[in-house]
Amino acid sequence: MFKSSRSSRAVIFIALIGVCGWAATMQAGEGDRYGFGLPATEAEIAAWNIDINPTGAGLPPGRGTVQQGAVIYANKCNACHGTTGTEGPQSRLVGGQGSLATSLPVKTIGSYWPYATTLYDYIHRAMPLNAPQSLTPDEIYSVVAWLLHQNGIIPADAIIDAQTLSHVKMPNREGFVPDPRPDIPFR
Amino acid sequence: MIPGWEGNTCIKWLRRLKLGTAPFMTREETSRYTDLMPDGTARQFTFAMEAKSVITSPSGGQRIEPGFVEIRGLAWSGRGSVKAVEVRTDGGQTWQPAQLQEPVLPHCHTRFRFGWRWNGEATVIQSRCIDDTGYVQPTRAALVAARGVHSLYHYNAIQSWKVAADGKVTNVQV
Repeated sequence: MFKSSRSSRAVIFIALIGVCGWAATMQAGEGDRYGFGLPATEAEIAAWNIDINPTGAGLPPGRGTVQQGAVIYANKCNACHGTTGTEGPQSRLVGGQGSLATSLPVKTIGSYWPYATTLYDYIHRAMPLNAPQSLTPDEIYSVVAWLLHQNGIIPADAIIDAQTLSHVKMPNREGFVPDPRPDIPFR
Repeated sequence: MIPGWEGNTCIKWLRRLKLGTAPFMTREETSRYTDLMPDGTARQFTFAMEAKSVITSPSGGQRIEPGFVEIRGLAWSGRGSVKAVEVRTDGGQTWQPAQLQEPVLPHCHTRFRFGWRWNGEATVIQSRCIDDTGYVQPTRAALVAARGVHSLYHYNAIQSWKVAADGKVTNVQV
């Protein structure tokens, strides 16, 4: 599952510079087209353009509650992530806060993830595994609300929507540091 | 596509590009491709692969005979060119220079070889890469001392092969 990731937008940006340079050279030199591809339609671009960044830009209308999320989670997520989000067999979603600096760190949404908006992006994009992008905005907001509540981050009566989600402060928000390498003394 | 960076950034099936003015902080770039340190902080956006090398022959599963054995392998650095590769055949402190095979190019695998006369005694053979920034490939102990054991990516410690008295070569953690 790691291999299919879009691991960095910075990477894609740099890739584009290369492609643009190449394309400009080819067009200037030859002027012909090669007959590959079709212009993307507005509808196609809209279907692909589903990224949600930490500002919350792109979040759709809709709202979710912890209670609704519990029902959806039990129906669609439970089988892989466990009844309370801790049992697996797939990624553990709940708990682990305070464990990162120990010999047995438990990386979950609550203990590790720096941004709550990532939950919407990923659940919408990729979950449930057998039917990605099948959940409605209300269902996604609700599952996000339930997961945040299970992790002790929002109260049971919180409403999650486009306005509230980007303001959720994740416990490990300040836990990430830039690359300090080279970091190992020589010899 | 991104020479010198970790392999997963070399996209195999590029389907579309989207530009952003800041990281999107996706699941992968926050919760997955980050390096957890012993103090509980995690390094993010760590892309470069630092200098590394591996002996490809003799290597695990092979069996060598006493006498002349050519040690061969590959070295590389995400920060530049391979300046030197050193080989250690006594499991001790004696590093000896290996020969580099041209071409030696930035961010490219560089072949090395080292003529060794094996006396038939059990030993450990290792290689280490030194790149043109002066960086020296670290020992496993030095890497673990700096990063702990929960940082999985960019692992570039010196890799060791154990040669048994019967010539059998196996992986060993030193």
